[in-house]
Amino acid sequence: MAALVTLVKNRYREEPSFDETLAGHPGFPRLVALKIDVQRRGVSYTDRAQAAVDPAIHQLRSPYIFGSRDGAIKPLPESLLLRDGTTILTDPTPLEQDPYIVDYLDGEFVLVDNGEVREAVELWSKPAYYGKFTSSGQPMSHIVSARPQRLNVFQSSFCYFWAEDKGCKFCDIVTHTKQQREELGVPNRLRPEDVRETVTEALKESGRFTSLCFTAGSVIKGDTLFDREVDFYVELLQAIGEIFRTKKFPSQLIGSAFNEKQLTRLYEETGLSSYTSDLEVLDEEQFNWLCPGKAKWVGYKEWRERLVRAVDIFGRGNVGTGLVSGIELARPHGFSSEKDALSATLSEAEYLAERGVTTVYIVWVPRPGSALRGQKAPSLDYFIRLAQGLQDLRVKYKLRVDFDDYRRCGNHPDSDLARLQ
Amino acid sequence: MSAILSAEVIDLLNSQETAKILATVDEHGHPHAVVKKSLHNGGDGNIHLLEILESSHTGRNLLGALWFGRKVSISLLGKEGRQVQIKGKPLKCHISGPLFQRNYVKLRERLGDVDLAAVWVIEPEEVIDADFAERKARQDKERPTLIHLDRLLKETAV
Repeated sequence: MAALVTLVKNRYREEPSFDETLAGHPGFPRLVALKIDVQRRGVSYTDRAQAAVDPAIHQLRSPYIFGSRDGAIKPLPESLLLRDGTTILTDPTPLEQDPYIVDYLDGEFVLVDNGEVREAVELWSKPAYYGKFTSSGQPMSHIVSARPQRLNVFQSSFCYFWAEDKGCKFCDIVTHTKQQREELGVPNRLRPEDVRETVTEALKESGRFTSLCFTAGSVIKGDTLFDREVDFYVELLQAIGEIFRTKKFPSQLIGSAFNEKQLTRLYEETGLSSYTSDLEVLDEEQFNWLCPGKAKWVGYKEWRERLVRAVDIFGRGNVGTGLVSGIELARPHGFSSEKDALSATLSEAEYLAERGVTTVYIVWVPRPGSALRGQKAPSLDYFIRLAQGLQDLRVKYKLRVDFDDYRRCGNHPDSDLARLQ
Repeated sequence: MSAILSAEVIDLLNSQETAKILATVDEHGHPHAVVKKSLHNGGDGNIHLLEILESSHTGRNLLGALWFGRKVSISLLGKEGRQVQIKGKPLKCHISGPLFQRNYVKLRERLGDVDLAAVWVIEPEEVIDADFAERKARQDKERPTLIHLDRLLKETAV
């Protein structure tokens, strides 16, 4: 057992250290690099840190669309903030996987690695609506979850691709949904009136939230592919739209690759202000392997072109695609070198950027409930190069990413860099 | 945490009648100096700034300073002509949390329908007395040879 732990720990110790890697990128912010590395490796809270967590003021983990690295649902802090306002979305990770340690020293939470304090961190503040209930009796935190400045509405966490055993290989959405339903009683599908009531309550807290994000698994049903999924979103967005005095409100929908009719409906009949549809990986072969449901029902090129067509409806800077960066190097069919993976990804991202679609990434976490469990994400150097490359494309093509930036999302190292754009 | 702000400087910082200029530089070294009325004593030994606009040039420069270790400069000119310069570095950017939300509410009470992008925390590292009379007296004492010769002539010599 000891040998196995050593083997796993060495996964990161055999790489160049954080400082050595960063030295190769003098123009890259250290805090964003730290965010990447913490997301890559996860965190473990010491007993002292756990004792310092105050559930009255700190946000504890609430229902989420994806699961955590330890596969457990525990009352630990939701996540962390760095002193530049950068959000680190990360989750509890078993010690044998060599995570960063979150400790509590001299009155503050700190990130520790290899026995050295790397940076002070803050825990997210608990929103005022957590602990309240909808009039139908649901805990509001089960209906809408919070980030430091964003409200997440996970309309349904079932994905129909999974029903045919064609779920994305990095994803644990259905596994996690079952776990949340069984352990917490989180509903499978949200009622629009519960969501409206919760959002209204959340916005009573002045200065807390700047955007709403809607997402769910793919729903292939309907007269046309995804019609039913669009119906759900339209119903939900219209219910929420009733509480705003403007027709449009800052919002992001991360959905399937809708056709023009569906997108027009979303744009014209609701207050939605941006649209994202995740290609997950920017290479057709990898897409076919890693996202078999998306490949079967839509296909890589059509998914990509639907994004481009969405720009005509939502406008430049309001359409994006997300990558689960790192899966392009997953075994056994991924790229064999980080250099090739980076080149292929940035080339495709440029194709999209030229056409008004912005690309953001999240750091791949090989979750235990996914088909790629047990693998290792690429190097910090790779993620730094990718973040800089994607941001450079935004600058080159004068693309903004306001709807998915450090404040309105906080989960993309590349769009953290857009703060200087 | 710094504690180099004297009571006099704190009063200057907190006075509505003090002119307050914040100077920053971008990644190319281009300077940017603007009036920032919201600079105030944070009560934690640091200076706080309320940045209203997300698209602010100052905000970008402050972030660049925090990320890459650049300094900023604050000039204060009091109602009575008192001048102080403070050099420091951005320590923290609150974009959420209790301090941010308190300031968001207070700012809107004062200015109406405005937003708040961030509360910046600037650590003062050096406070320089910028009063002309003070600076002149110091130079005359410490470097008496920095003077035009005609000022040293006897009246009878001309």
